Amino acid sequence: MNSLSPEVALSRISPELRPLLCSVVRNGRVGLDSTNCLRITDLKTGCTSLTPGPCCDRFKLHIPYAGETLKWDIIFNARDPELPPDFIFGEDAEFLPEPSELPHLVAWDAGDPDCLLQLVKELLQQYHQYQCQRLRDSSRLLFEYDSLLEDPNYGRSMEIYAGRKNSWTGEFSARFLLKLPVDFSNIPIYLLKDTALDPGEDVALLSVSFEDAEATQVFPKLFLSPSIEHALGGPSALHIPAFPSGGCLIDYVPQVCQLLTNKVQYVIQGYHKRREYIAAFLSHFGMGVVEYDAVGFTKLTLLLMWKDFCFLVHVSSCAGCCFCAVMITKTHRHALN
Amino acid sequence: MAASISGYTFSSVCYHSANSNSDHEGFLLGEVRQEETLSISDSQISSSEFLHIVEVHNHEPCAQLFSFYDYAGKVNEENLNRILKDRRKNVIGWYRFRRNTQQQMSFREQVIHKQLTNILGIPDLVFLLFSFISTANSSTHALEYVLFRPNRRYNQRISLSIPNLGNTSQQEYKVSSVPNTSKNYASVIKEHGAEFFDKDGVIKDIRAIFQVYSALQDKVQAVCAEVDQSERVKEKIQEEVKKLKEEISLRKRITAAEERRHQESLNTENHSLQDDSALSDSSSPPSLTRVLLQSPPLEVSLDWPPNSTALPLYPAAPAPPPAPPSAILLPRPQAVGSPGHPSPGLGLGNGDGSSSDSLNRQAIGQEDQLEEEEEEEDEDEDSSEYENLVSERLQSPSLTDTAVSLGRPAALWPDGDTHSSGGSS
Repeated sequence: MNSLSPEVALSRISPELRPLLCSVVRNGRVGLDSTNCLRITDLKTGCTSLTPGPCCDRFKLHIPYAGETLKWDIIFNARDPELPPDFIFGEDAEFLPEPSELPHLVAWDAGDPDCLLQLVKELLQQYHQYQCQRLRDSSRLLFEYDSLLEDPNYGRSMEIYAGRKNSWTGEFSARFLLKLPVDFSNIPIYLLKDTALDPGEDVALLSVSFEDAEATQVFPKLFLSPSIEHALGGPSALHIPAFPSGGCLIDYVPQVCQLLTNKVQYVIQGYHKRREYIAAFLSHFGMGVVEYDAVGFTKLTLLLMWKDFCFLVHVSSCAGCCFCAVMITKTHRHALN
Repeated sequence: MAASISGYTFSSVCYHSANSNSDHEGFLLGEVRQEETLSISDSQISSSEFLHIVEVHNHEPCAQLFSFYDYAGKVNEENLNRILKDRRKNVIGWYRFRRNTQQQMSFREQVIHKQLTNILGIPDLVFLLFSFISTANSSTHALEYVLFRPNRRYNQRISLSIPNLGNTSQQEYKVSSVPNTSKNYASVIKEHGAEFFDKDGVIKDIRAIFQVYSALQDKVQAVCAEVDQSERVKEKIQEEVKKLKEEISLRKRITAAEERRHQESLNTENHSLQDDSALSDSSSPPSLTRVLLQSPPLEVSLDWPPNSTALPLYPAAPAPPPAPPSAILLPRPQAVGSPGHPSPGLGLGNGDGSSSDSLNRQAIGQEDQLEEEEEEEDEDEDSSEYENLVSERLQSPSLTDTAVSLGRPAALWPDGDTHSSGGSS
């Protein structure tokens, strides 16, 4: 698969269609997984080979969805750029959206750069409905879906991908991708990575894969955005529990959500505790403060003297915890003078 | 279901498509017929199989995209009728051409197809998809086409055959059942067709050839009849020959038996009349010259056709010629009492001048003449020997008498062989 950088892809697109694709490749974040952008590959042309370039007007769009990547063919006509595109939905040959429920298709406006992106989002909504319909092949999974749907915390932020039913074994698999409703806004800024590098939304996604329709093989996985993962102490800082045998998502997801929330709260509280701790030291030994961490409040160094004995006190704690370590260093009086 | 498209229609669609600088679409015109195949095998009495065959006769290209539907894919029936006009009833499907795309029906094509199925009232409306795929350096271009049956499950694909597009060196050239719907072609044929076609639309030369063929067939049939008849005649003649042979052998056996009896009786008489060698009174020379014996007429019925030019298998058998006076067989008639006249004791006569032996010999000789000509020499030799014996008798009666006393002279047996007992052979 020839993955092209956005700039290269745009340079090969027909000039009349370039604004539409520019919006897609630069602002194209759809679905729950907003950390992954939409990608464009396999640029082709519908013109004759004698037509001078750039004249590409059809390509493959990669869309992250429910842990999968959808590959949809989008077909324009460079000779008629005002016309709306056509779609081929890859392996989902049975997916046939309702055209009347695609406002940006019915009222296609080639002059609107966001028209294509909006149309893709509308198609994704119908695709989600299509996948949910396919869950009807398994009553167990349908129950999982319906129970989550009733909960407003999870029902609105859920993507489902129903796999192909194995005609030999009758096995049916599905994946649920849920956005956990955890508030990360109070995480101290300093714990987050450089926002310039990670301008996306801080999100925690829980992926639960059912390898069989009876939920005997369930594999959960937690995805965090890079800044959150760093704020919580790295990939190994948080371990989610295994899916209980015989359990269901409506019980498990809140459990994971609570775990994550507790972790976040722990990190926030630790920060505040450290700040209060440092503040107390400053109020008592304000004249003896050599230095302290004014961002994370993880370190403090005091210069103290007792009966001509001068010493430095180093107080430190790791981010996210309140544990303090004290180290005393003997100094010479004359050095201080 | 099967489908076929004529070569010129296919090439016309390809031409229109390849020359457009964007996607291209149109309608397929033709007809759908149903074929029933009855097969009889050992395992079952009969089984019938129905096959729907879609034949594409022509196509109607659309001038531009979205000519009969809107952005949402909703078909406008008015625009559709304006494009199809009076050929709406001939529509069997529609086609789409797009470059460098997958061979799979797109979202809009499926939406349009469903509506066309309902509007045109064709349950099995087909969709022909052309894809033109080129390599990156434009060195290789491939035209791919797939015929879909979208109203069936999983967008069933149908094989599309193009008659005579393939290796015709190993296949016979097929006459396509797809008619030529060109008006120009029809007008030219109508104008000049009378020179080549008869009133039934068949090429005249073909009819003439068929007439020659029929005449040849009639001749062959007639010759077959003649051959059959001649074979039967030949069979009949062979049967008759066989009967005659049996008759001959029977007569020979009878003759041989009579001769033995006669010989025995003569031997008995010789002993009693040994001192009396007087010849029996015979005023007339022995009429050994019963020249002609009526041989049983040949019952040959040859019914030759009056106008037949064929050579008869058996040439017209001439009337059996009268048996030539076979001087070679008959003893020379001589007067009674002449020194050369053979004595009755020699078994050459019955005393009254007749010789049953000679008669038999005559008849036998005739048979031999008919059957075995190669023994004429032997007969000649024999007859000459016979004459010689007689002449020797005349010349040397003493010797003759001695020979006579010793045994009979050479006699000609029916088989032509000469048997002499004591005499020269």
